[in-house]
Amino acid sequence: MKDTRHDLPPEHVPLGLIPTPFQPRLEPLSRTKDWMNWAGYISPAVLDTMEFEYFAIRNQATLFDISPMHKYRVSGPEALGMLNRLVTRDVRKLAPGRVAYVMWCDEDGMVIDDGTLFRLSETEFRLCCQEPQFSWLLDAAWGYDVRVEDESHSVAGLSLQGPTSASVLLEAGFEIDHLRPFDLAEAEPGLLISRTGFTGDLGYELWISPDHALALWDRLWDAGQTWGIRAIGYHALNMARIEAGFIAAGVEFQPIHHTLRLHRGRTPVELGFAWLVDFDKGHFNGRRALVAQAERGPRSMIVKLDIGGFKPAADALIYYRKKREVGHITSAMWSPTLKRNIALAEVRAPFGPDRTKDLWVEIYLNQEGVWQRRMARATVLSQPFFRNPRARATPPAAF
Amino acid sequence: MEQFDAIVIGAGHNGLTAAAVLAGKGKRVLVLERSTSLGGMMATGTLNGVQLPRLAHLLYNLNPVVVRDLGLKLDAKPVPTVALSEDGRHVVMDGAEVRFADGTAHPDAAAFVTLYQRLVRFGTLLGQLAQAAPPDLSGSLSLAQAGELGALARLGLRLRLMGKAEMREFLRIVLSNAQDLILDELADGPLAGALAADAVRGAWAGPSAPGTVFSLIYRLAQGGGAALPSGGMDAVVSAFVKAAEARGATIRTGAAVQRIVVEGDRVTGVELADGSRVSSAMVLSTAGAAQSMMLAGHGSYDIEAVRRLRNFRTKGTAAKVNLVLSGAPKFSGLSREQASGRLLIARSVRAVERAFNPVKYGEASKAPVIEAVVPTLTVPDASGKHVVSAVVQYVPYAPDGGWTDTARQTVIDQVVAALDRFAPGLAAMVTASELLTPADIESETGAPGGHWHHGEMSFDQLLSVRPANGLAHYGFGPAGLYLAGAAAHPGGDVTGAPGRNAALKALKEMAA
Repeated sequence: MKDTRHDLPPEHVPLGLIPTPFQPRLEPLSRTKDWMNWAGYISPAVLDTMEFEYFAIRNQATLFDISPMHKYRVSGPEALGMLNRLVTRDVRKLAPGRVAYVMWCDEDGMVIDDGTLFRLSETEFRLCCQEPQFSWLLDAAWGYDVRVEDESHSVAGLSLQGPTSASVLLEAGFEIDHLRPFDLAEAEPGLLISRTGFTGDLGYELWISPDHALALWDRLWDAGQTWGIRAIGYHALNMARIEAGFIAAGVEFQPIHHTLRLHRGRTPVELGFAWLVDFDKGHFNGRRALVAQAERGPRSMIVKLDIGGFKPAADALIYYRKKREVGHITSAMWSPTLKRNIALAEVRAPFGPDRTKDLWVEIYLNQEGVWQRRMARATVLSQPFFRNPRARATPPAAF
Repeated sequence: MEQFDAIVIGAGHNGLTAAAVLAGKGKRVLVLERSTSLGGMMATGTLNGVQLPRLAHLLYNLNPVVVRDLGLKLDAKPVPTVALSEDGRHVVMDGAEVRFADGTAHPDAAAFVTLYQRLVRFGTLLGQLAQAAPPDLSGSLSLAQAGELGALARLGLRLRLMGKAEMREFLRIVLSNAQDLILDELADGPLAGALAADAVRGAWAGPSAPGTVFSLIYRLAQGGGAALPSGGMDAVVSAFVKAAEARGATIRTGAAVQRIVVEGDRVTGVELADGSRVSSAMVLSTAGAAQSMMLAGHGSYDIEAVRRLRNFRTKGTAAKVNLVLSGAPKFSGLSREQASGRLLIARSVRAVERAFNPVKYGEASKAPVIEAVVPTLTVPDASGKHVVSAVVQYVPYAPDGGWTDTARQTVIDQVVAALDRFAPGLAAMVTASELLTPADIESETGAPGGHWHHGEMSFDQLLSVRPANGLAHYGFGPAGLYLAGAAAHPGGDVTGAPGRNAALKALKEMAA
């Protein structure tokens, strides 16, 4: 495998963070020099200001470098069988050229990680996720006629998100009109475009060899000028993520292979993803434990909250009748688009989608050196905070 | 399609026990045996027209509860153990009594008796754990869980009732190694060597390995001592077969199962090698743990379970050498009574440890540890010929260079030479010989790695983790599938206990 991470010879072990293939373009765009560590890569937290970048996601088009995502190619005659034993969804229903959001569990039904599964052909798949999974996939592949390759360093990824993202692609000469949400197509030889993203809005992800990464960036950048294209960092994306109501590993749930304490894992049902679990497809990892839990009921639930007032409820505790502690906030923000105080939260059974009354969030505020405590009413929502029909329209209109 | 209430894979002692227990409760049971003979490791063979025990040749540990439940009528004669000594001062152990073969007192007799009786007491305690599924410690503390903990609590109580000193001694030695324990009490020599050999029989371990005290105690769970069944192991097989058939079980030989059929995470039957199917909602497999998993398909198991079962250690180190002699061997210094006992060639603890070393590097021991029996001294063969049945340790599963004719003959020659030193003239009387290497034992009986116990009986592979964490309670993956062989608790030896416990578990789940 060619080492494309840096200019050093492959046998040289790099010290510290390494650049992604797009770093030569990101570096001059960074005003803040606010870099973070994403899976060992240099990744922008903010390039300019978080607010500009956030509004670009919701009103224009944005480029976010997702090359640090872990990417694994699973191929072979039994790739389908191997993946169907791995994840909780029925992969047989995933047609070639389609992408599915999937979760996979350990033997106790606790989520190891979530990610997107691309079906490239009848016998070829790509799994994209946050956590390193190579050794787990090798274990999962034992006994199957499959080949598992770690493509994390050999595939560069770029997320193009926002209402004008389709227009940018068309301007750049890519025929993507026909792509429905979760469709996947080889737009040009060596370039895969999927209609996927992490913002709840119209958006695409582009996958290419690192050698051609910069040319792709330039092509999109030039085409995007009239469509208000901006490069963004993690913080702005995270705001859009919370508005879309998406969960994040390490935030809404703790990947079970990283937890040391007992009972820190969560099942897909407890994360609000019962619809991702297909009990009728035959055995899959953790199935028996999940069947047993289905009888007992979940221990807790991740819910979406609309919170009174405008002070973000980060890290706050949740109370029933302002007295009994029943959960905590996992992600929270004031949503500039919705003009609402929103949050994702974990509440313990029996609280959850079916029992929502009289919940309060305890928010502490430091007002110029003086602490205040506010109890704000929390309402459980059943729908994502941010929904926009353009995210599902095919072909997408120009905005 | 034929339909049964339960299908048992394998007609060894565990399979037959499971079949008898299930059939005894009115279930329609079918036993499917791959080979053409019954009894598995207990099966009788013939060499040069003379009958002999093909593999197992003595009873050590037959579980009394199994004997009771199956109503087994076995006439088994306890035999003395004779530790053969190079200097002719052979030591005879009869129960806990120890003397030189000529009747004179052994200087270590008192120390041996104290140690042996203590180990038997500990063994009896642990033996009670063998009669039920191992304690399940996976759940939370609940009323149901309290029952699981009950077995452990009773063990703890019985330990405590032995007195403070005994309990402390148990805890001191239980995880330690046989070499230190034995040499703390006895001078090294044939007597110490005999105990060391018993601690590691069938194991991939020398007596200095941690956990060998536990396996020694485990072997003494039914009071220690070996018994030679009258009528040979054949009579034992017949008793098990009779118990199963009398209760209505159907037994078929030459019927190899190639697949356990699973639909919707539930067993629905088996598919035989000829493609035919038999349907049943319950299948009990006495094959090895990994082999049983593969029969049901690894996709029916969680990834963690597959990893654990793949790594279940099953390296067999015990081979079998069978000899046919033209006449009765004469062991110098032994009476006929003594010579018809269990003969051990294990010069010292140190020699047993040294015998283990080569097998680590893919070689057979040059001075192997041998447990030999001459059953024809007790029940003469009609032909007037005699047979020697020898368990030989340590012999690798796959020696460097493979099992060539030369490699095989070398093992036989070493065994014959070793026996000839104690029974001069024996070598000249050998008219036929055969070697069953661990690889042969695997292909003949299906025992993974040719391991006599279907998997190392070490502390990390016993009780609640036999064969693996999460699979230790006989239920084996898909609903309706049970592991009922030596790979399940309490493990190997001709005990019948795994088969009985698995059948009881299956009956309980069937009723629920």
